[in-house]
Amino acid sequence: MLSRLRYIFRETFDSFRRNATLTVASIITAAISLLGVGLTLLSQEGFDNLLSKWEGGVEMIIFMRPDVSDDQKALIESSLNENSQFIESWTYCDVECSIAESERVLAAEPGVRDLLNESNIPTQYKAVPTEATDVALLRQVSDEFAGGPGVFEVVFAEDQITLIEQLQSFFGFRLFLLSGFLLVAAVLLIWNTIRTAIFARRREIEVMKLVGATDWFIRIPFMLEGLLHGVIGGALASLGLGIWNSQWTRGVQGFPENSGFASLVITNGYDKQVMLIMLLIGAVAGAIGSGIAASRFLDV
Amino acid sequence: MIRLENVTKSYSAEVVAVKDASFDVAKGEFVFMVGPSGSGKSTLLKLLNRQDRPEKGAVWVAGRNIVDLPSGRIPMLRRNIGNIFQDYKLLLEKNVFENVAFAQEVIGRPQHVIRQQVPAVLDLVGLSGKEERMPNQLSGGEQQRVSIARAFVNRPLILLADEPTGNLDPATGEGIMRLLDRINKTGTTIVMATHDQRIVNSMRKRVIQLDRGIIVRDQARGVYE
Ligand SMILES: Nc1ncnc2c1ncn2[C@@H]1O[C@H](COP(=O)(O)OP(=O)(O)OP(=O)(O)O)[C@@H](O)[C@H]1O
Ligand SMILES: [Mg+2]
Repeated sequence: MLSRLRYIFRETFDSFRRNATLTVASIITAAISLLGVGLTLLSQEGFDNLLSKWEGGVEMIIFMRPDVSDDQKALIESSLNENSQFIESWTYCDVECSIAESERVLAAEPGVRDLLNESNIPTQYKAVPTEATDVALLRQVSDEFAGGPGVFEVVFAEDQITLIEQLQSFFGFRLFLLSGFLLVAAVLLIWNTIRTAIFARRREIEVMKLVGATDWFIRIPFMLEGLLHGVIGGALASLGLGIWNSQWTRGVQGFPENSGFASLVITNGYDKQVMLIMLLIGAVAGAIGSGIAASRFLDV
Repeated sequence: MIRLENVTKSYSAEVVAVKDASFDVAKGEFVFMVGPSGSGKSTLLKLLNRQDRPEKGAVWVAGRNIVDLPSGRIPMLRRNIGNIFQDYKLLLEKNVFENVAFAQEVIGRPQHVIRQQVPAVLDLVGLSGKEERMPNQLSGGEQQRVSIARAFVNRPLILLADEPTGNLDPATGEGIMRLLDRINKTGTTIVMATHDQRIVNSMRKRVIQLDRGIIVRDQARGVYE
């Protein structure tokens, strides 16, 4: 048993060494495709986080024209209060508050921000709807406000949530497709590497068959080799993902507050889970590639 | 030990390599297969270790008809059969010891057995002291001795030799034949395909002659003709 293990590992690593170029190529491809899978999973989770933060307080924002009068504001406020069955609470963000907010929200776009000043910035009413209020109903209510005196426009967080969901599915679908293709490429490369390894050792294989080595004895080093390509690829991808995620998390911390991205980070250990998934997918991909090559080209 | 019953093997409609061949080889016998090039000698040897399957007839080896042997049992059959070839089939990146040890390693023999049996068989074939040499540092005769050591190290019941002296000069070839004779005397059955007239005539063993796949002569203590 021990001598078999020794034999298997010696042969596997011999093959790695002899076939270095192809081995490196298949490992890198496996790593990149798995990183793609991992990043897709992580970004999906990030979007989910982003969405969950919104859910708590779905807001309707009524932007007022800069030249709004106190009377007009009083009218809006009284109708906000009248609609208490839909609107649980509301706050008013005056000129000062709106300027301060634009500093944060538009921090990344100083050009736009500089166009705003005390005389042209819209002030805002931010409304938190009651638990039971559904969006359709809220929109109905908002129509009244939208037509109201001094109102610039009414914005729903819901619309932004739809946007995020669109982004999420846009990136999710395409990244998955891309990683899927890369994963297929990785399997093919592993397959080809193992085929080459088998070809390079055809004399040994011939001798092994003649002296009565079993099929599995001949196959296992090759299958192990392919499996290792996948697992090493998965490990590298995990490493890459770990670095990526920690840099992203640090980067997001530097982002302005309320910029909407603060929740686009993974902190709950989901990244570890994704790494495990990548290792598993890598192992399966390697086993498939080398398994097909071994059964197809060894004809033992 | 070996029995062929009406064995026919063709590679295609036109190429019938062995036709309706029948013979018996007893344990411990030494048999030469002779005949012109393409007469089916190598094919016959391949039928004996299931490298090939006949489409007709039965091939009995060590009490079993191996024609329908399930592929999972072929390794066990081959552990009872050693093979020697004209081109030695040594592994060029392994030294003498490793080449012979390889035959034991790949059937799972433990290291302590290998450390004991490989030097013994290298001694038998006259290669003691050359364990560390690489194949390209050996003469043709020495390389053939390594391949014989590899074929014999697992003590097979049968040794199949396909023109083992084909690449060697007469004197070296005779040395190989003396070695094969010694191995035969230990009770190992040997079937050897050869073109070498001198060797066949000097050994005076049983001769089976093939012509276009047909056995045309089977003679005890025969000559090449
Ligand atoms: N794998 C194969 N596919 C097709 N035909 C083959 C194959 N192997 C052998 N043959 C044909 O079968 C016939 C017998 O070949 P075989 O190799 O058994 O002859 P041989 O007696 O060993 O010849 P030689 O003395 O030249 O080695 C020949 O006509 C050969 O061309
Ligand atoms: Mg031949």
